[in-house]
Amino acid sequence: MTFRVAVYWGCVIPTIQYSYEMSVREVLPKLGVELVDLEDASCCGLPVRSVNTYASVYLAARNRAVAEKTGLEDLLIPCSGCHLSLSEAKEYLSEDEELRRKVDSLLREEGLELKDSVRVWHTIDFLHDFIGEEKIRKSVKRHLAGLRFAPHYGCHILRPSSWERVDNSEDPRKLDDLLTWLGAEGVDYPEKLDCCGCLLLLSQPDAAFSFAGLKLKALKELGVDGLVDCCPSCHMMFDMRQKSLAATVGAKLDVPVLYYTQLLGLAMGIDMERLGLQLNRSPVDEILQKIVH
Amino acid sequence: MSTLDLMTTKKPDLALRAKVLSKIGDHRPYNCFQCIRCTSGCPSMKMLELKPHEVVSLTRLGFIDDVIESGILWACAMCLKCKERCPQEVAPVDLILALRNLAVETEATVPESFLKSVSTILETGFVQKPQRTVTRKMEKVDRDKLGLPRFREASDRFKTVLMKALGTF
Repeated sequence: MTFRVAVYWGCVIPTIQYSYEMSVREVLPKLGVELVDLEDASCCGLPVRSVNTYASVYLAARNRAVAEKTGLEDLLIPCSGCHLSLSEAKEYLSEDEELRRKVDSLLREEGLELKDSVRVWHTIDFLHDFIGEEKIRKSVKRHLAGLRFAPHYGCHILRPSSWERVDNSEDPRKLDDLLTWLGAEGVDYPEKLDCCGCLLLLSQPDAAFSFAGLKLKALKELGVDGLVDCCPSCHMMFDMRQKSLAATVGAKLDVPVLYYTQLLGLAMGIDMERLGLQLNRSPVDEILQKIVH
Repeated sequence: MSTLDLMTTKKPDLALRAKVLSKIGDHRPYNCFQCIRCTSGCPSMKMLELKPHEVVSLTRLGFIDDVIESGILWACAMCLKCKERCPQEVAPVDLILALRNLAVETEATVPESFLKSVSTILETGFVQKPQRTVTRKMEKVDRDKLGLPRFREASDRFKTVLMKALGTF
């Protein structure tokens, strides 16, 4: 039986982080999920948060309303920043009637209505809690035994725990579990909860590169096979910009970085190119050899 | 920026303080008892000397201009650890964001790229248009070549409403 889920991609995934979109679109149908794209989605509001919080809450509410128009009960948000923004809007709108009234009136101008009818998921809790261990273990064709990965959860799916978030804020385990179900090992490390610094790119790029660079540098001493992430902004830092990180922190960095969905796809036996693995800039070839051959 | 200097030479701006505290967010500066748990876990403290507890304290005292002019607000990476860990349910990050909003509103110096992102969203609905990229073998690719469905741009109607939202504070 196929289960239909609305999917909201946000900005970063469909405009540059193609490998995340490709791998999500490949793996979920194999687990019995049909993805329904939104008509007329827009930015989630997070990039507007610093300039005008009111407008950012409106944008987040708008995308919730657009998702509700599908009539589906579940909304998958693979981007952690979008997931935070849409969760934040839900909180603030539920506790501030005047804000809710203002936002509702803006939504009406586009013929939209917010009913709070969708359940919001991120890739990690969707796979872990909704799809579950049994289905994922069954889908594995290439067992990843012997491979050790450092899981990077990122900030925005974990905090603040006073809102509905994806995993425990101080001791997240879901991505670790997901790695275990593929036969691989998720390694604990002191820098596990460290921020990638991506949101500092706009104002303090050197500091941003240091955040991510120091994390990868610490990983080198851990002897892991790579870093596994699940947020397009984090991935942009660790994978796409790894050379800049290395230059900033003055270290040789050669850490393979993959999205969890890419790794899952590999374990399922899906062709590398269909998972966007040709787009990873970090040195993933060695790891691919270990898995595919 | 030192708290002592400001306190001996400056007068608090209570109107601006009221304006900041009326903004959206779980900032509750009056709950703060300066335990410094926020600052001790702040990644931007290590790198850029951002001290969230000082931002909370200065706001509470009404020295809003000084916090804004110091430029330190733009050192926050929005990791949300301060909001998570505060024992008093103060969210320094929300206060920092409210102060950033006020900096924009009062036309103080703001990193240009923040405003640029907003104007791109107004033009296209998103922070950027789909970019061409390259594979590890330096082959140029785009959504079409990668077999991804067409990217849907936002409607003009949406842009008008967003403009209106931005005009409301």
